[in-house]
Amino acid sequence: MEVYFYLRLLSKMGENKRMKNSSKFQWLSSVIFLYLVNQAHGQKRGVPHDLKCITHNLKEWDCSWEASSRINHGTTYEICIINSSYPCIQTEKTRFEIPALSLADHEIKISSMHASGNSVTKFILNERSVSLVPAMLQIFNLTADFSTSTLHLKWNDNGSVLPRHSNVTWEIVVLYKEDMEVATIATLNTTLIGKDSLHHWSWTSHIPLECTPHYVKIRCYIDELHFSGQKEWSEWSPLRNISGPPIKENYEVFPQDKVVPVGSNMTFCCVVEEPVLTAQFGSERCSLIRLDNKSVAIEINNIAVSPSSGTNVVFTTKSYMYGTVVFAGYPPDIPRKLNCETRDLKEIICSWNPGRPTGLVGPRDTNYILYERFSGRNVTYSRDEEHMNENHQLIFQMIAGQEIYNFTLKASNPVGRSEAVILVDITQRVYPHTPSKLIVSDIDPTAIILHWHLSGNFANINLLCEIEINTPYSGQELRNITVKGLETSSYRVSVDKLMPYTMYTFRIRCSSENFWKWSKWSNEKQYLTMEGIPSKGPDIWREWSADGKSVIIYWKPLSINEANGKILSYDISYWSEEEKQYLPEIPDPQHRAEIQLDRNDYNDYIISVVARNSAGSSPPSKITSMEIPNEDLKVEQIVGVGNGILFHWNYDPNMTCDYVIKWCNSTQSEPCLIDWKKFPANSTGALIEYDNFRSGTRYNFFLYGCKNQKYQLLRSVVGYTEELAPSVAPNFTVEDTSADSILVKWEDIPVEDLRGFLRGYLFYFEKGEKGTSKIQGLESGRSDVKVKNITDITQKTLRIVDLQGKTGYHLLLQAYTDGGIGPGKAMYVVTKENSEGLIIAILIPVAVAVFVGVVTSILCYRKREWIKETFYPDIPNPENSKALQFHKSICEGSSTLKTLEMNPCTPNNVEVVETRSAAPKIEEDTEIKSPVADGPEEGSDAEPENHVVVSYCPPIIEEEIASAGGEEAGGSSQVIYIDIQSMYQPQAKPEEELENNSVGGAGYKPQMHLPVTSAVEDMIAADGLEKAAGYRPQTHVTAWTLDSPDSPRSIDSNSETVSFGSPCSVNSRQFLIPPKDEESPKSSNGGWSFTHFFQNKPND
Amino acid sequence: APFVLGAPVSLADSINRTYNLALYMQKNSSVLVQTYLQYQGSPFSDPGFSAPEIQLSSLAPAAVPFTLWRSLGDGERLVQVHRAFSALAQHLQLVSDDQADLNPGSSVLLSQLAAARLRAQGLMSNIACAITVLGVSVPPEMDTLGPAPFGASVFQRKCRGYVVTREYGHWTDRAVRDLALLKAKYVA
Repeated sequence: MEVYFYLRLLSKMGENKRMKNSSKFQWLSSVIFLYLVNQAHGQKRGVPHDLKCITHNLKEWDCSWEASSRINHGTTYEICIINSSYPCIQTEKTRFEIPALSLADHEIKISSMHASGNSVTKFILNERSVSLVPAMLQIFNLTADFSTSTLHLKWNDNGSVLPRHSNVTWEIVVLYKEDMEVATIATLNTTLIGKDSLHHWSWTSHIPLECTPHYVKIRCYIDELHFSGQKEWSEWSPLRNISGPPIKENYEVFPQDKVVPVGSNMTFCCVVEEPVLTAQFGSERCSLIRLDNKSVAIEINNIAVSPSSGTNVVFTTKSYMYGTVVFAGYPPDIPRKLNCETRDLKEIICSWNPGRPTGLVGPRDTNYILYERFSGRNVTYSRDEEHMNENHQLIFQMIAGQEIYNFTLKASNPVGRSEAVILVDITQRVYPHTPSKLIVSDIDPTAIILHWHLSGNFANINLLCEIEINTPYSGQELRNITVKGLETSSYRVSVDKLMPYTMYTFRIRCSSENFWKWSKWSNEKQYLTMEGIPSKGPDIWREWSADGKSVIIYWKPLSINEANGKILSYDISYWSEEEKQYLPEIPDPQHRAEIQLDRNDYNDYIISVVARNSAGSSPPSKITSMEIPNEDLKVEQIVGVGNGILFHWNYDPNMTCDYVIKWCNSTQSEPCLIDWKKFPANSTGALIEYDNFRSGTRYNFFLYGCKNQKYQLLRSVVGYTEELAPSVAPNFTVEDTSADSILVKWEDIPVEDLRGFLRGYLFYFEKGEKGTSKIQGLESGRSDVKVKNITDITQKTLRIVDLQGKTGYHLLLQAYTDGGIGPGKAMYVVTKENSEGLIIAILIPVAVAVFVGVVTSILCYRKREWIKETFYPDIPNPENSKALQFHKSICEGSSTLKTLEMNPCTPNNVEVVETRSAAPKIEEDTEIKSPVADGPEEGSDAEPENHVVVSYCPPIIEEEIASAGGEEAGGSSQVIYIDIQSMYQPQAKPEEELENNSVGGAGYKPQMHLPVTSAVEDMIAADGLEKAAGYRPQTHVTAWTLDSPDSPRSIDSNSETVSFGSPCSVNSRQFLIPPKDEESPKSSNGGWSFTHFFQNKPND
Repeated sequence: APFVLGAPVSLADSINRTYNLALYMQKNSSVLVQTYLQYQGSPFSDPGFSAPEIQLSSLAPAAVPFTLWRSLGDGERLVQVHRAFSALAQHLQLVSDDQADLNPGSSVLLSQLAAARLRAQGLMSNIACAITVLGVSVPPEMDTLGPAPFGASVFQRKCRGYVVTREYGHWTDRAVRDLALLKAKYVA
């Protein structure tokens, strides 16, 4: 709560305090005194007692006393001041007024006259016994400002009736609500000035004044220093209240539409007849504070910044919602980056950044005023809604003659204000507009005039402008110029030192001479400068034609810098001592001309070439037609470095004009010229680089020196920029062949194929059969390949000696350069026969053969009897032949021999397979030993044997069975019933038969040809009788599942049988169990199927 | 502006065209009130905000008892709609002005309010044309606002805007219904 007290009188707080202390003491002593006087004179009942005197103004005393009512009624009093000139007072009241008496004690005699008799009472009266009680105050005016919830109180201090300089203490109490709670108590001190004056006090309530009635009362206390009596507070003034808000503002919720700083504390109230149910501030529910019957309030502390449309405060009753809106925002930030500058020296643009957003928009937004102190003028910011968040700016019209400006930017909004200050010399703050309307006009080929427009009044300053000059070839150039500022806006400046006939791009920017900022660059302006005459003549060279009947003159086009325009044509003239002759004008794209001269008339001509453009002709370039002869000229060789070829020559002071190196492809026909280059006379070397130089190509270079405009060939050079290996093989032939040598001859490789300077040949030779050469690609590192390196490149033949006669040789010849070895040509040669060796080679075997024949004949003759005995005895009876007997014993058991003696018997469908000792056969049929060697080929091999077996005669078989039965345990003959189809006989393997014999008797075991353990044998033996009765595949097959490889294994669990998807024939590898249901083992047909497949197994 | 005079307009054409315009406005009217509330802060912007108790004396509500509505004469029916949209157009201008102060940065809301006002005026013109074709005199445009625009508190302005945008929707619905009735009667 704020208290505004407008003090009109001087405050004397210190004095007041002291006076209060002293008056208290006086008051106490006077009470005691009056008491004693009353004791002396008022003991009796009915007489006046307790005389009290007060004063409102220190000028009159108002005294009263107590009297019994009985006596009082109808009593008259006479009051006399003893020893005073003041007349006695007659009164019927118990009070009287007298002027203030002096400080001394005064005796007051009150005579009471009534029916019952008279009485006299005396009092001693002194100023100290008088109380100073100011008169009750009247509030002069009480008003309320509802918009600010402020009370304004005015009252009169009655200073005219009170002593001057008296200190007055005012006490003001504000009450509120219907039950009059104290809202605030304020105490103020003033000094009286001896006349009436109005005092003013203001107070702002934290509760809107509309919410509940407010009442005010006031009293005072006068602290008069010179009054010795008692001082008391005045009575309270009558209560004054604030009536409700103006009727036209018929609102229910207060305050309305307040704008407050963020962080404020506020109280909102709602005054409605019906009960308020809820209240919310924004989206936040608030607890209700009851003010009185009709009024409830909410208190909000530390209000946050509001949204754009404010924060709603809503009170809801059963039937309606009442509300108000509060806008909480920040006071304006101090304007940041305040900057004032001018673009045209006509108006000043001040811009600034508003800083932190205030959170207040629309009519509550910050208002800016730009105030200029010297001129006293100001400009108000008008908000541009489109640029709300950008830098703000204000435009201030410049004042003629004023250069220094002191600006104050004042920002204010409903919750605060701020300002920023800037002092500027505006001539130092010129940021010109962008130059426009850039125009170029010609002066001459190297100078132009640049015109531009720059709006503004710069008459008082100089402008600094920067011209950017751009060419595609020489890049960018900046030139600074200073121009006098103009009131008009058209500026012009000449720009020189330009190149003729060049496309320039100009642009310009400006600032003031007291640099502040560059303007933006103007738009670019392209301009082609005028043509100038070509600055020099073309670079020329001449060559005689091959027949010497004409000179061809060549020239190079002038560079852009030299041409200074578009070259239109060339003028050629030539002369000797005779008159000058001209060739017809040659248009530009042509850069050669032919002049008909005869080389053999030894007339030296000077040839001149002039280039011409629209501006004029170039200086002539001259060359003489003849050369200075050079006798001792050698052809040198050179190889390039990197991209070019480096030449050196000795400095020759005789060479006065220049050096020329010309070059051509060595294979080019006359005139030899690809290009030429000129070098100054003082040079001693040159690097010739030429984009079209190719590796491996031979070029001829000619170095000319120039004396007195005449050229002399100084050197002739053959060179490569880079050497490569030859691209072809040398073509060689065998010229001559003898028994021990070969003469080889080869031809030169053509220059274009050589691709480098020839450094030698490599010749390889190797003995070998035709078509077996390994020379190719194996040139070294092989001892049987001999190689000869021929480094004498003039050598064209080679004789290879120490060769063997009538022997084939492979030959290979390769050429090489520093760039590498080229491909080789190969050849095969057979040396001629050596005749002596041939004779010896024939004679020696013949002699040996004759000798052996003779010795053999002699021996045979001498031992003829023994031979006859041994090899050709007399023919005996074959029955007795020892040799046959020997054979029989050996071959006993062989069915072959045996069956030779047998008559073939007709096979029938009963087959008895014999068990026999196969020992001899095993030795014979080693191939069949392999367990996998049971292919069809072998089957066919074995077939005759099997047929023999089939061709069996029962009587012999019986014998064989008997013997076999004794040999093999568990083995037995079996009779297999098969049908005609099963006549197919799988080849039998003896060893398998042996193995299977052990199990064969136990019935069919598909995998039984693998090693069988004794355990299995035992088991099989146990079943022997049953199994021996015949093969019954069904009994076992029933236990199988078609695809289970485990089933057979379960029988011979220890075997290492490889599992099959189906039981498999050992020999045929046919699946024993046909796929799927076609032939189920369970079916009755399965019986004969198995029999069919395995009938070869139990063939014991 | 009202229809170009001179070219005779058939009642069926006029009603049909007006009906189509009302139908088009109906599609956008609910967007307007939602956009409006969104910018007014809580509790207006709270989901599902509705305060049917808030009314504007200067704006006649669209709701009318069915029998009364059904028994309206064709001319009276159109005159009521015309009067309502005349009032709505004026109120929408008022709301636009209020929101330009309260939400100067919300171009979406301001443009929707401006568009709604233009459509209200457009519908008014069309109805005026139909009334003329019916042979009834078009009621003169009146100042429906009275002293309301001045001295209203911000909260009252917000409420006023709410009522106007809400009633704009209601009246658009009512116009569609009214015109549908007339369309059924006059348009084959």
